[in-house]
Amino acid sequence: MHDVSTAVVPSVGMPKIIGGFLWDLPRNILILLLKTYRKVVSPLYGQVCRFFPSCSAYALEAVTVHGAVKGSWLAATRLAKCHPWNSGGVDHVPAGHRRWPEGKTPTIVVLNNPDLFLAAQTDEEGRSAA
Amino acid sequence: MDFFETIMFPFKWLVSIIMVGFHEGLSFIGLPEASGWTWTLSIIGLVLVIRAALIPVFVKQIKAQRGMQLLQPDLKKLQDKYKGKTDQLSRQAMAQEQMAMYKKHGTNPFSACLPMLIQMPFFFALFQVLSGITAARNQGKTMGAMSHEQVVQFDDSSIFGAPLSATLLHGTPPGGNVVAVWTLSIVMILAMTASQFITQKQIMAKNMSEEAMASPFMRQQKMMLYILPLVFGIGGINFPIGVLIYWTTTNLWTMGQQFFVIRRMPTPGSPAAKALAERRAAKGLPAIPLLGAKKADDEAATAVVAETKVQRTQPQRKNRKKK
Repeated sequence: MHDVSTAVVPSVGMPKIIGGFLWDLPRNILILLLKTYRKVVSPLYGQVCRFFPSCSAYALEAVTVHGAVKGSWLAATRLAKCHPWNSGGVDHVPAGHRRWPEGKTPTIVVLNNPDLFLAAQTDEEGRSAA
Repeated sequence: MDFFETIMFPFKWLVSIIMVGFHEGLSFIGLPEASGWTWTLSIIGLVLVIRAALIPVFVKQIKAQRGMQLLQPDLKKLQDKYKGKTDQLSRQAMAQEQMAMYKKHGTNPFSACLPMLIQMPFFFALFQVLSGITAARNQGKTMGAMSHEQVVQFDDSSIFGAPLSATLLHGTPPGGNVVAVWTLSIVMILAMTASQFITQKQIMAKNMSEEAMASPFMRQQKMMLYILPLVFGIGGINFPIGVLIYWTTTNLWTMGQQFFVIRRMPTPGSPAAKALAERRAAKGLPAIPLLGAKKADDEAATAVVAETKVQRTQPQRKNRKKK
């Protein structure tokens, strides 16, 4: 719950930092809410979602990557699809414009795209071995 | 908070109009209008409406779970591929491949998020309606679709001396019997826990194939067996009697539904399926295709679907012959 501030805030000047904080506030509040939901409420139901990543994981990634407004919209569209007459399957969050520094990719992005990051991991191991 | 109120309003309205509808109907057939029992039956009516609306979702899920039998070989392959890889990323990769596989076969054992999420605002709306009734009365307000007279009537009504809007922890309105509130709350908490236990035990003991018993999904189910009673207990002492009536009834419905499924449409390869086959054999009836969901009820309507159902159960029958 402590890595809420994964936002990329350029480190120039007080006003910019405050502005960045306020700009990212809705997004970070949503992230906090979603993380709490995933920790507290999700376990009560076990897995119900017909998709990978699950709706709540999708929502968390969408808000992290796309921000509060577009992220919420993406999450809502996904939720509307998660009904018994949809056969589910793999449905990733579309790529966003935010870039993260090396090794600082949010956990949820890594977990939701295992094939991508598993490949990167084995790549890394190969390189360090060579 | 206003934003929240706006979202909740239609749900509160819908919940209260269903209750009022039942209340009017019950009064019309001669039940005392001001009695807590009439309002209790209205709450039970609300449960029946909501759960009946969810039956198609439930049937769909059962069919999908039965369809899983056909996926067993593919699933086994996938499990072998990820054998011994216990790191989180590999687990996630496996989950992803598994979902892709369900999609490919057009069958998915999970019940989907939307039906579950839709129930939440209804439950919450009911909670708001029932716990807000005393305040609405004092302020001379209406509540959802309930008129002020009905609000007053509801607030005054009680069963066994326990007002429907009373809670164990947060107090009983004047004129209510505190002992009755405590007793009723505790009895209902126990009833919910018991029905939950019985439902789970029934599923595990009678309605699961051997493969399913060994899956990691089972571990989660077993955990629920201990978490849910805790939730019932905490909720039970905080929620008004009216909400507890709703909750208990819905739990009993689940249990009844499960009994019906186990008896009439058991999982192929489970002990219950064997019992059903034996019962039918004893009566000299032919074995029915197990997936045939509502066999006797609407044969004509499902005639078209029946064909695929028979095909789907074919491999299962061979299995049983071997045994």
